[in-house]
Amino acid sequence: MKSMQMRKAFRRAAVLGISLVCACSAMASTAFAAEPYDSYCYDYWDDAIPAQAGYKVYNTYTGYDMNLERLTDPEDELYISESAPIDLNGAKDIFYEDVKNEFWVADTKNSRILRLDKDLQLIGCYSAIDGVPSGVANFNEPQGVFVTVEENGDIMMYIGDTQNSRIVQCKVTSMNTCECVLEIGMPDTPIYKSKTFLPEKILVDGAKNIYAVCTSVNSGSAQFNSLGEFQGFYGANRVEVTAEIIRRRIWRVFASDEQLKSMQSAAPVEYKNFDIDAEGFIYTVTEASNVTTDAVKKLNAAGYNIWNNDAGNTYIFGDAGANTYDAATNTSYTTRLTDIDIDSDGFINILDYATGRVFVYDEECTLVTIFGTYNTNSDQKGSFTGPNALETANNNVYIVDGIKNDITVYTTTLYGEYLKAAVLLYDEGKYLEAKPYWEEVIARDGTCAFALLGLGKAALKEGEYKLAMDYFKDAYARRSYDKAFKYYREQWLQDNFYLVFIVIVLIFILAIVLSILKKKGIIKKHVRKEKKQVERKKTKKELEHEAELAAEAAQAESEAEEADE
Amino acid sequence: MYEFTTMGWLKHVIFHPIEGFEDLRWKKQGSMKVSMGIVVLLFVAMVANRQLLGFAFNTAYTKIFNIVPLLVQSVVYFFTWVIANWSVCTLLDGEGRLKQICINSAYALVPYIVGVFVMVFASNFLVLDEAIWLNAIYYLGLGWSVLLMFQAMKAVHQYTVLKTLASMILSLVAMLLILFLVILLLSLFQQVYVFIYSIYTEISYRIRG
Repeated sequence: MKSMQMRKAFRRAAVLGISLVCACSAMASTAFAAEPYDSYCYDYWDDAIPAQAGYKVYNTYTGYDMNLERLTDPEDELYISESAPIDLNGAKDIFYEDVKNEFWVADTKNSRILRLDKDLQLIGCYSAIDGVPSGVANFNEPQGVFVTVEENGDIMMYIGDTQNSRIVQCKVTSMNTCECVLEIGMPDTPIYKSKTFLPEKILVDGAKNIYAVCTSVNSGSAQFNSLGEFQGFYGANRVEVTAEIIRRRIWRVFASDEQLKSMQSAAPVEYKNFDIDAEGFIYTVTEASNVTTDAVKKLNAAGYNIWNNDAGNTYIFGDAGANTYDAATNTSYTTRLTDIDIDSDGFINILDYATGRVFVYDEECTLVTIFGTYNTNSDQKGSFTGPNALETANNNVYIVDGIKNDITVYTTTLYGEYLKAAVLLYDEGKYLEAKPYWEEVIARDGTCAFALLGLGKAALKEGEYKLAMDYFKDAYARRSYDKAFKYYREQWLQDNFYLVFIVIVLIFILAIVLSILKKKGIIKKHVRKEKKQVERKKTKKELEHEAELAAEAAQAESEAEEADE
Repeated sequence: MYEFTTMGWLKHVIFHPIEGFEDLRWKKQGSMKVSMGIVVLLFVAMVANRQLLGFAFNTAYTKIFNIVPLLVQSVVYFFTWVIANWSVCTLLDGEGRLKQICINSAYALVPYIVGVFVMVFASNFLVLDEAIWLNAIYYLGLGWSVLLMFQAMKAVHQYTVLKTLASMILSLVAMLLILFLVILLLSLFQQVYVFIYSIYTEISYRIRG
C-alpha cells in the first residue's frame, strides 16, 4: 500500500514538474499578440468554420495620437481656442480623399470636421463656414462628409450638416476656414413628403449630383443636381415580404374604401449608408435588423439594383441567419449593417454595428474574410463599442468608433494579402495566374473553400480533370464539379474507346448467341431450374395433401367395397 | 392457371399489374419473407439515395448522417401504412387480411426501389445536363409502384375502383392519426420516465445524505 502511495506521489510530482517546464517554455514562446477577434468564414452550408485571420490591428488612434491638442495651443497655426475638445466625440463618418491622400472625419458631437493626413495626423479643423446665405455659420452635429478635389486643385467639402437641416458645399480656403459655395435646405416640392430634413450621409457622383441619406425618409436618398435643385429620390428599398404584408394584401381585396383609408400602408425600410465605386455604381446598406430584402444593393445610375435579378436573391451579406448566436459571449444578436465601402480593388467592405465585424466580399459578392469584434469586458485594441463608419485606403481599413472615440486601423496579414491577390486574379478569370497565390493561401488555411475553388479552376484549365474534381468536391462546388466531371468523362471515353467498343460488341454477340441457342433448345437451364423448384415445393407442401387424398381414395374404395358386399 | 416459384410470382405480379394481384390472391401465394426483404431493400435504397448519389446531384447535408429519419421514412411508414390500411378496410368490408396486405404492399414497392437503385447508379456517370434521364427513371419507378399499389389494394380487398381510391386516401389519413398518437404516447412516456427518474434521484440523495 505504502509503496503504491509513494509511487502515486512521485508520479504527481513528475507531472507537476513537466507541466511547469511546459508553462515556462510557453511563456517564453508566446510573446506574440493574437488577433482580438475569432476569425471565421462561412462554408457552403452557411456554417461558420474557423479560418485564418485576414486582417490584423495596425494601430488605434485617439485624439491624443492625432495631435488634437494642437487646437488648444495658442502658438500653433491650428489654434482655435483653449477650450476646444482634444478628443473625438461621437464621430459618425470618415472619408478618404485619394488625390491629396487625406482623411476627413465628421466629429459629430463636437460639431466640426477634422482633416487628417495619411498617418492620421491633424492638418486642419473646420467648425464654421464663411459666407453662408442663411447666416448660420457654425456646424451643428454634422454626420456626413464627402470631399472632392477639383481640376484646378480646389478642395470641395460636401457636408451633411444634420441638425442645421442643410447640406453645404464649401471650398477649403485654409487650414481652418472654408467658404460656402452652395447651401441646400429642405426641398420645397410636394414630392418631398417628410416633415424633417436631416441629411446624414452625403455622396457626390461624377456629374456632381449630390445624394443625401436623410433620417426617416424611406423613399430613397434625396438627389440634388450640381446647382442644388431637388431632383427626386434615388434607389428606394423594396418592402420585405412578410406574413404581415401578405395578410394586409389579402385584406385589401375585401376592405371598403373607408377601411382602406385607415389602413397602414406598407413602407420599406430606409437604407442607412452608401458608397460610390470607381465606376460610378452606388452601393447601399440597410441597417434595420431582420431585413434581408435589399440589405445591400448595387445601384446603377437609374437607381435600379443590378444584383436584383434571378440570381441576385441568393446574395447574403453579414452573418448567416437573422438571429445569430455567439458562443464566445453567450449572446444572440442581429446583424446591423451600418456602413459600406468599396476599396480601390473593388472589394466590398461592410461594417456590422451589432458585432463590430467587417465582412469583406469580392465584386461577385463572395465572402472573402471577416474581421473585427465587439468590445467585451477586456477593452482591447481592435474591438469596437460603437463602430459608426469604415473607410479603406492603401489596403488598410479605418474604423471610427463613436463611443470609444478613436479610429482603429486594420491592415492585411500575409494570409490576407495572398487571399486578396488571388481573389482579384480569380475574378478577372486568370485562374492560372492566381494559382501560386491560392497555393500560399491553402498552405495557411486548408479549409478555405474559395482557395479550393480557385485551385480547382486552375486544374480544370490545365486539363487535370481528376484533380479539379477533387478540389471542387472539397470546396463543395457542385456546378464546377459537374463541369470537370463532364470533361473527365469525355476524356475517359476517348482514352478507352476501344475497350468500351469491344465490351459493347461482346455483349451483343453473347445476347445473339444465347437467343439462338435457346431457340434450338440447347439451353434449357432456366426452365429446368424452375421445374425443379416447383417439384421440390410440391414434395414439401403437398405431400400431406396427396397422402390425404390417397387415404380418402382408399377409404372411398373400402366403402365402395363395403357397399358392394 | 399458372405455376411459379416464389420469385417467379413476384415477377409475374410486377409485369402483369392488372391480373397479377388477383392471381396472387386466388392462388394464395406470396411470401412474407420476400416482402420483409423488400422493406429492408426500401430502406437500403433510401440510404443509397442519400449517400451514394452522384456528387453533382446530391444536395443532402453530408456533414451529418442520421439514420433515424431514413428508417422512419421507409420501414416505419410502411408498417404504418399496412396497419392503417388494415384498420380502415376492415371497417369498409375489405377482404384482405393483415398478412396479405403486407405482402401485396411490399410487392408493389419493387419498381420504385429498382428505380431508385438504377437512378443512384446512373447518377455517378451522368452530368447535370442529363438530369432529365434520372428524373425519368425515378418517376417511372414511382408511377409504376403507385399503379401496382392501387391494383394490390383493389385485389386484396376485392373493391371497385372508386372504393379502392377512397380506402387508400382514408388509409393515408389514418396513417397520420396513428403517427400522431405514437408521438403523443412517446412524449407522455418520456415525461413519466423523467418523473420516475427524478423521484429516484431524490430518494437516492436522501438515503446518502
